[in-house]
Amino acid sequence: MKLVNRHIDKHGTGHVTLRPEDDEDMWHLYNLIQDGDSVRAPAIRRVQKVSSTGSVDSQRLRLNLTLKVTRVDFSSSGSSSTAAPAAGSDDAADPSSAGQPDSTAALHISGPIIVENQHVRLGAFHTLDIEVQRDVRIEKYEGWDSVAIARVDESIVPGKGAEVAALVCGEGTAAFCLLSQHMTLVTHRLSLPIPRKSGSSSGATQHEKGLNKFYGTLFDSFMRHVPFANVGLKAIVIASPGWVRDSVYDYMVAEASRRGDKVLQKALKDKVIKVHISSPHVHSLVEVLKSPEIVSQLKETKFAREGIVLDKFFKMLGTDEMRAWYGPDHVVLAADRGAIGTLLISDDLFRASNPETRKKYVAVVEAVQQKGGEVVIFSTMHESGQQLNQLTGIAAILTFPLDIEVVEAEEREEAERIRLAKEGEADGG
Amino acid sequence: MIANIFIHYFICSAAREREKAQKLLAQRQLTEAKAPASSSRAASPMGNLARGGKKATPAPKSVPAANLDQRQLDLAGLNLVDKEPSKAEEAPNMTFAHDKLLEEVKKTIEAQEAEGKQRLSLVVIGHVDAGKSTLMGRLLYELGRMDERTRLANERNSIKVGKSSFSWAWGLDGTTEERERGITMDVALESFATTKRQITVLDAPGHREFIPNMISGASRADCALLVVDASNGEFEAGFQRGGQTREHLVLARSLGVAQVIVAVNKLDQVEWNNDRYDDICTLLRPFLVQSGFHPSKTTFVPIGAMLGVNLVGREGDDAKQLAQWYKGPTLVDLLDKLEPPQRDIATPVRIPISNIFKGQGSGTSVSGRLLSGVVQVGERLRVQPGDETAVVKSIEVEEENVPWAAAGSNLTLALVSVDPIQLTIGSVLCPLLDPVPLASTFTARILIFDIQVPIISGAMVELFHHSRDVPATISKLIATLDRTSGKVVKSNPRVLAKVSSAEVQITIRPTGSSGRSIPMEPYAVNKAMGRILIRREGETIAAGIVMDILG
Repeated sequence: MKLVNRHIDKHGTGHVTLRPEDDEDMWHLYNLIQDGDSVRAPAIRRVQKVSSTGSVDSQRLRLNLTLKVTRVDFSSSGSSSTAAPAAGSDDAADPSSAGQPDSTAALHISGPIIVENQHVRLGAFHTLDIEVQRDVRIEKYEGWDSVAIARVDESIVPGKGAEVAALVCGEGTAAFCLLSQHMTLVTHRLSLPIPRKSGSSSGATQHEKGLNKFYGTLFDSFMRHVPFANVGLKAIVIASPGWVRDSVYDYMVAEASRRGDKVLQKALKDKVIKVHISSPHVHSLVEVLKSPEIVSQLKETKFAREGIVLDKFFKMLGTDEMRAWYGPDHVVLAADRGAIGTLLISDDLFRASNPETRKKYVAVVEAVQQKGGEVVIFSTMHESGQQLNQLTGIAAILTFPLDIEVVEAEEREEAERIRLAKEGEADGG
Repeated sequence: MIANIFIHYFICSAAREREKAQKLLAQRQLTEAKAPASSSRAASPMGNLARGGKKATPAPKSVPAANLDQRQLDLAGLNLVDKEPSKAEEAPNMTFAHDKLLEEVKKTIEAQEAEGKQRLSLVVIGHVDAGKSTLMGRLLYELGRMDERTRLANERNSIKVGKSSFSWAWGLDGTTEERERGITMDVALESFATTKRQITVLDAPGHREFIPNMISGASRADCALLVVDASNGEFEAGFQRGGQTREHLVLARSLGVAQVIVAVNKLDQVEWNNDRYDDICTLLRPFLVQSGFHPSKTTFVPIGAMLGVNLVGREGDDAKQLAQWYKGPTLVDLLDKLEPPQRDIATPVRIPISNIFKGQGSGTSVSGRLLSGVVQVGERLRVQPGDETAVVKSIEVEEENVPWAAAGSNLTLALVSVDPIQLTIGSVLCPLLDPVPLASTFTARILIFDIQVPIISGAMVELFHHSRDVPATISKLIATLDRTSGKVVKSNPRVLAKVSSAEVQITIRPTGSSGRSIPMEPYAVNKAMGRILIRREGETIAAGIVMDILG
């Protein structure tokens, strides 16, 4: 994303103009724009004019509109294009030659228009369809808090997007995923029934035929859905339980050399990392991201960092339950006591429509940062973020053990003391 | 001429239909009177209707029904199957009415018992390289199920690639990859007969990577044969934490297998040392009891699979050393004593599909285990999940074509008038009018194993149910329970620690390909359909039973 201009004073009021460039930028905007903000962006609106003779003239005009946001919708078409059981039926576009994959994410912002112009009345509703390369100006109703500013800073760093393609497969199933800093897109899923061997020799041959068909289909989908020739693509991960990944890799290498595809051969040689996972489901991506092969190569990337931290949290939960807390109430208590070493928080929480809720979480983040703690904001579009969301979206690794029961008892006592003090005051007065 | 036949058919079927409906009503009243409210299925009229519905053969719509429940007739009539004639050439008609069939099944089973040739299925489990496939290969040969030619071919070919020690295992490990790697990767299905039992064997893979396949195999079995490697170090490797001797036993027990034979293999490698055999038995016994196998249902036998010692007999030079100290039964003697469990033939048909392949000719074949009920040729079954139905063209049990099969059999069905795309491994075949419910959220009582990381609400797991595994979330921790009494110890716990018992809510995560509902039933309704296993990152963390389906 490009920063066009930025006017934020020390109190946090002001506006920022950004120019989104790809899907990930849409995701950033989705996380930045909240209900109540005012957003200015170019739009196409059908404008009707009634002439003096009464004839109606309708025109589509390109306008710059400013809305007060009431709703923000984000959809990454990658994850919505689910399950075509038989591959090969969809479009024959070849992204490997097209360079950057086309922008597929959509961001819609609706609300009443708050700046009048000659074509549109004040208060008329409009839905902005945010497009790449079109400037968006955001002004925050509540002012810019530290989390929002950090997000802007993060989003405008150029060339940070380490793209990784991951192929999560099992016998007969495969999911093609594209990982960027903040997003995991499942671009394609494949599922072919493979007859299992059942003892008889005919079963074994059917099994092998099925496997070969599967590898063939997988190869075709790979050509179509993985931009392997793209320079931005740092690695291609092939992950599977058992030995499927080896067979898949061997098949692809053989097929590439049979076809004489030099580009593919080079990409397979340089970029492929084979990783073992325990189940052929997309959620095993978390396992991929914490595997030593990936950590050594991609540890500076956000998704690898998320994977490592989440794993650390679960390990802590196993070894010292008193140092791994989760749930908003508990984490806030831990933050009050200055006990948080690492805060894990999902960006989902900052999208809360209620500004008070957002403020609460921003306060926790700031408190942790002030005490020198580390804050990792998880992206919901990654598998690790989704897992964190399942755990209420907020968790913390504490620097020293705290017993939750004791802390809760303390809180109750404290509340009781305050109540008594107040009653005492009331009685005295 | 044809018209004549039709008229005749009409009259007959009308009469038959009337008779059936009356019987149905009587039966229904009877069951309602008998059945207490505990089993909602038995008490609900729908359940009975459904079973009745299956019987309906093509029948005229206007049945004089003076003293009959019209609704019931209508419902029975719903199955009129107007399309049936068009499919007539490929879909054979049912030969039996359902209740007649039940009678026949009962008779046959009794006859089998009297004759002493009971059927059961046996899963072979154990740590990788314990010799499961070798044992089975050798046993099949000894019992005459593998012919000399196959044996010689396997021997020749395995020597050719320098893997002569796998020659027996090749009888079951059929695929190229399995033979190259020298391990079993998927369940092999074979059958043999001992003097008193007709046994279907499921040879499970021992490697930890293929536990999902082992689960699929074990959920199709009545009894288990645990093979342990007696050679020094190998037994310990399999029995320590994370070894598959342990995990397989626990999994098999959780899937309802109650009888186990422990075959202590490779005793030839420790010079048939009696002490070693005793040591292994002493180590295993407490663990078997702890895992829930009753000592009276557990037997031990020393064997040498590769040499064929103590499988059928103890003749020959190889067995001399063993014969000096072991006087007990051989493996086959023990197999003869396995007791088949009670079969549930009165409940509706449930067949979880474990394999789909192209059969002979045009049709699609599926195999799986008939968990409950009775299925016959010509019956129309529904595929859950989905809207698809299929007609059973033929039933094959142990390589024999049969007109019907009863609960407990591992069968292969040839299906016609079905779109194979709609069939997936894990789908359940069930009667048209008594489909198995689909669940995306349910509560379960689970027993948590010895795990490193405790379970918290929101934990991401894989849920195993028969041959299907799906990603799921432990969405709510309802209560921790006392392990023995089942009483609530603590409501809404924060974490579930290892080796405890709990009631939890489980939500299946939506995945692109397979929606989010899977067919299952509460344990109280159908035991075999209500057992689940929970795994995380390649480790089995809990086993349980389904309590309530919430949606």
